[in-house]
Amino acid sequence: MRRTVLRNVGIPLLSIALLLLLWEGIVVVFDVKAYIAPRPLAAIQAVTDNWGLLWPLILGTIRETIYGFFYGSLLGFGFAVIMSKVPFLHRMIYPVLVLSQGVPIIALGAPLVLILGFGVTPKIVIVAWIVFFPVTVNTLAGLSHVDQDLLNLARVYGASRWRTFWQIEIPASTTPLFAGLKIGATYAVTGAIIGELASSSSSGESLALYQQHENSNFSTAGVYGVTMVMTVIGISWFLLAVGTEVLATPWQRRSVARRSWRRRDDTVTDSSKVH
Amino acid sequence: MSPNDLLQIRDVGKSFGTTVALEPTSLNIEDGSFVAIVGPSGCGKSTLFNVIAGLLQPDFGEVQLADEVVTGTAGHVGYMLQKDLLMPWRTVEDNITMAARLTRRVTNDDRAEARRVARQYGLGEFLRHYPHALSGGMRQRVAFMRTLVTQHPLLLLDEPFGALDAQTRLEMQQWLLQVWKDAKRTVLFITHDVDESIFLSDRVLVMSPRPGRIIADLVNPLERPRVTDVLTDPIFVDLKREILHLLHGGDA
Repeated sequence: MRRTVLRNVGIPLLSIALLLLLWEGIVVVFDVKAYIAPRPLAAIQAVTDNWGLLWPLILGTIRETIYGFFYGSLLGFGFAVIMSKVPFLHRMIYPVLVLSQGVPIIALGAPLVLILGFGVTPKIVIVAWIVFFPVTVNTLAGLSHVDQDLLNLARVYGASRWRTFWQIEIPASTTPLFAGLKIGATYAVTGAIIGELASSSSSGESLALYQQHENSNFSTAGVYGVTMVMTVIGISWFLLAVGTEVLATPWQRRSVARRSWRRRDDTVTDSSKVH
Repeated sequence: MSPNDLLQIRDVGKSFGTTVALEPTSLNIEDGSFVAIVGPSGCGKSTLFNVIAGLLQPDFGEVQLADEVVTGTAGHVGYMLQKDLLMPWRTVEDNITMAARLTRRVTNDDRAEARRVARQYGLGEFLRHYPHALSGGMRQRVAFMRTLVTQHPLLLLDEPFGALDAQTRLEMQQWLLQVWKDAKRTVLFITHDVDESIFLSDRVLVMSPRPGRIIADLVNPLERPRVTDVLTDPIFVDLKREILHLLHGGDA
C-alpha cells in the first residue's frame, strides 16, 4: 500500500521538481535575462510577496471555475441524456452543440458582456460553454453503448425505464462520463482565465488582468508567478475530478467491497475469510 | 391445457421480414420438469425464448403461463444467457438481488434470501466480491442465483454454460441439477450440446432451421439422480444417436 502511494504520488512530484530544476538550469547556464524569464524561486516569491493582493483574485477564479464546471457538466449530462433518449432531438441538438464549439471562445466575451455585464456571470458562462461539450460527447457515447443484452434482461424482469436508467445505464456509463468530466476539468480553468481576459473591466478584478498588469509593469517574475498559480488551480481541479472518480467507482480498484456504511446487518461473517 | 402444465404455447410464430424465424409452434411444458431444446444456430430457439420471455411480440399465437395469457408481456420468467450479464459495479450479493432492485425497493428479506442461496450453493465466501474477481464458472453460478431468486416458476436458460470449458461445464451441470432438485422449478434449457441436453433433461425437443420448427419431442427415460456414469449408459447412447440423426439428417 505504502509502496503504491510512493509510486503514484512520489514519481509525479519528482518529475515536477526535475522540471523546475531544468528551468533553473537553463536560466543559469544560458544567462537568461531576468526580464525574459526569472528563476523559478523568483517567480514563486513574486506570488508570495503579493499574496494579500492575489488571494481574493485566486478565490475569484476558483469560484468561476466551480460554478462554470458545475453548470457546464450538469448541462452536458442533460444534453447527453436527452439526445440518447430522443433520436429526433439528437439530430436537432447535436449540430448546434458542435456549432457552439466552433465559436472562438475569446470572441464570445464581447457579446456576453453586452448581455450580462462585467460581473462574474459571463466568466461562468464561458467556463460552462467549454466544459459541457466533452461531458456531452463522452456521456452520450457511454449511454449509447450499454450492453443490449443487459437492457433486454432488465426488460424481461419487468424493469421500468426509469429504474433501468438509474440502475443500469448510468452506472454502465461511469467510465466515459468521468472521462468527459476530467477533460472538462482541465479546460475549466483555461475557460475561467479566457473569460477574465475577455470580459473584465479593470486590473484589480481578476487574475488574468492582474497578469497583464504585471506585464505592462515589466514585472516578469510576477507574470511567471501568476502563470504558475493558474497552473496549480488547473491541476488541482483535474485531481479533484480524478479523486471523485476513484471514490465513486470502487469496483475498478477492489476485488472485495468494503463493509457498507449504509447497512448494519453484519451477518456476512464468512466474507472475512477471503480477505 | 392439462392441469399439470405450467406453460402452454399455442400456434406461436414469428417472422423477421421475409425470414421465418419460427414456424407456428405449439408446446406444453409440465410443471416441475426439465426440458432441453437442442438445435443448430438459426433454428429459432432464441426467438422462441424471447417470445416466452415477453421480449418479442409473436406475429400470431398465444403464450399461457399457469392460468394467465402473457403473450408479449414481460416480468413473468427467470431468464439467463451465455453471457453472465453481471453488473461490474455491484457485488455478488447485489447482483443476485438485481431483479428486485429493477422493479421495487430491495428489502432485507431479499438480501437475506440472496445470502441464503449463495451460501447454500457455494458462493457464500464471495458475497462481497465484485464480479471481475470471479472465474467464469463462478460468475455463471451468480447469474443463475440471480435468476433463481426472482421466484418465477419458469426459468429460461439460453446456453448458460456454452462459454465454459468442458471440465467446468460438467461441474456446472451437476450443480444445476442439485439446485433444480431443491428449488422445484420448471426449466427450459437451450443448448448446442447433445450430451448436455440428455444429461440434464426429462425431455428433449429437437429443432431444425429454415424455417425454425420443432422436429422431434423425445422423452428421456434416464433415472435420476444422474451421475457422470450416465454418459456411457446404453439408453443415453441410443438417445444421443437418435438426436444426432435428427440434427444431421442421416449422415451421423
